[in-house]
Order: sequence, then structure tokens, then C-alpha cells
Amino acid sequence: MSSNAVNTLPTWAGGRSPFRVSYGKFMMWIFLLSDAFTFSSLLVGYGAVRFSFPEPVLEEISFGTNLHEKYHDGFVEMLQAKGVFSESHWPSPDLVFNHFPFLHGLHLPLLFVSLMTFILIFSSVTMVLAVEAGQRMQQKKVALYMFYTILGGLAFLGCQAWEWTQFITEGATLNSNPWGPVPFAALFFIVTGFHGFHVFSGVVLNAVIFTNVLKGTYEKRGHYEMVEKTGLYWHFVDLVWVFVFTFFYLI
Amino acid sequence: MDHNKHIDIHDEENYDPTVWVPKAHSHGTKALWKTFWLLFFVTILDIILYFQMTPGMGRNITFILLGLVKAGFIVFIFMHMSYEQKTLKLTIILPMIFVLYLIAYLLKEASFWNSLNW
Repeated sequence: MSSNAVNTLPTWAGGRSPFRVSYGKFMMWIFLLSDAFTFSSLLVGYGAVRFSFPEPVLEEISFGTNLHEKYHDGFVEMLQAKGVFSESHWPSPDLVFNHFPFLHGLHLPLLFVSLMTFILIFSSVTMVLAVEAGQRMQQKKVALYMFYTILGGLAFLGCQAWEWTQFITEGATLNSNPWGPVPFAALFFIVTGFHGFHVFSGVVLNAVIFTNVLKGTYEKRGHYEMVEKTGLYWHFVDLVWVFVFTFFYLI
Repeated sequence: MDHNKHIDIHDEENYDPTVWVPKAHSHGTKALWKTFWLLFFVTILDIILYFQMTPGMGRNITFILLGLVKAGFIVFIFMHMSYEQKTLKLTIILPMIFVLYLIAYLLKEASFWNSLNW
């Protein structure tokens, strides 16, 4: 029968894997390359808009100053009146990213974003430890490390939700920005939102693979390569964060 | 063809691309923890430099270079790129040249926008 003949055709006649990786892992790399282009476009676009504006006006405020007490929650208005925040130049990140949960009103520049970065770095190391345990076929360890990774991802998403809420409360949206030019707030929400959505998808993928690990799917299959593939995606999310952190919070 | 017969997923001779995977072997956890601490301390260094260096191009370039160092460790150690074949490394890394072009082009464009507006 003709359908039988199609079924017995060799799928690949090259003899062996050209890159010595499975097709799934190779496709994950290709996907990540395309995703890297997407993020590069967003970040380079941000860079272009950033450098088309004059340099930020600086304002020295010592670490831990109680802004709530000093300015009665009129800190942003005070800087606007002083011309530190104005539509004609980019804001200085330490004056924008200075909030920390449960420490309302204190000037703590870049402290919260450092915490977010550490959470993501830590969930990256637990992910790679899960991959390593998978290479040694240790089901329980893979499950435990994947569980930590999922917790890290959820913690990061929680931090981002808090940060977004904080900014929206202060009046930042896609078309308004209390700290200066509108593109600053718009690009902040677009790029951290796109990254945050990647974190969310990563948590979902990790949760699916985690369930399979618990069910023993990969014990039966004889290898834990799925953990490695979802791990590649997770590390990529961390990799992108390195550049989001550099461009939005440092430059 | 009997589809129920046992297929050797590591078989090099009768290679079946739908199931074939190379034999996995661990490279230990030492390099992983070293990378973790490196990422941790470089992030702290970033924060220290933010407050110690004068704002400007020099500081920005320092941050981008430190970012590339972090990215390199993530790709080569965490994503196991250093254990892959040279062909795979080049396939993934060489196309990033297009990003360098985009950066050069858009920075030139940005300085033009700057001259228009201010």
C-alpha cells in the first residue's frame, strides 16, 4: 500500500545528528535566537530613544532619606517643580526606581531591582542544578530543584506586579509619565511586560515539566532532556533580564 | 514495520531523529555555583559603580561590558554552550552580528533625532 510506503521512508538520511544534539534541543536554540532578535530590537529601540534625549539632571539624595516625612508624599512634584523631572530630558533611574515594599517613603535607589535580579539568578542556578540531577537520573532531586525554580519565578512575578502597581499609582501609563518623557514609561511597561510574560510562560512550562518529573515520565523515557530544554528557555529569560537591568535601571 | 519494538535512543548507527538523544553525563556542580557567585558579585559591582562613577558614556560602556560578561557566563555555563559542538556555537552566536549592525545604525539615527529636537 502507498501509505505504508510513505511510513517506511527514512525521515532523515544524513546518518547522524549534524550538531550532535536532539532535534528538540536544536529547535529550542533556534527559537531562542529569534527571541533574542525580538528583545534586541526592543532594547536597541529603547537605547535610540534614550540617546535622542539630553542626559538626566541629577539630584543628590542620601540613601534611606525619609521622603514621606520630608516632602509629605510630594517628592515627585518637588522634583518636577525643580526641573529635575521634565519632558525635555530623560529621568535619572535612581530617582525613579527608589521604592521598596513595606518601607514606604524611604529613598532606597535600585535596592528592589537588585533583589529581583538576585531572585532570578538564584532560580537560574536551581534550574541548572535540576538539569545536572537529570543527567544523573535522580528523579527526586530534579523535582526538588524544579520546585525551587518555580518558586523563584513566582517570586519574581510578584515583585514585578508590585513594581508595576507602584508606578501606575504614581501616574505612569503607556501615555503619561510623571518623571519625564512619555516614551520612558511606555517603553518601561512594554519591555518589562514582554520580559515578565516570558517569565510567566517559563513558570508554566516549568510547572508542566515538573508534573511530568513527578509522574515519572522521564524515568520511563530514559533521559531528562525535556528538563534541559525548558532550562534553556529559563536561562534565556535570565539572560534577557541582565540587559533589561542594564538598560532600564543602570543607564 | 513493528513500531512496538524497543528503539535504542542513543543508537549512532541506525540514527532515528525523532527519538535520538546523546548520552547525558554530568559535568559536576562546581562551575555552576562559581557562575552563580560571579553573577551575584558582578550585580553588586554594578550597583556600587552606579553610585561611584560619574554618569556618562564611560559608565554606560562599563555597565554594557559587565552585562556581556554576565551574559557570556549564562550562555556558556548555565546553558551548556561550552559543551556543544563548534558548528552549533557558530550557528547561534554568529547571527547576533545583525544586532551589532542595528545598534550602530540606530545610535547614529538617535544622534540625528537629537539634533532635530534640541
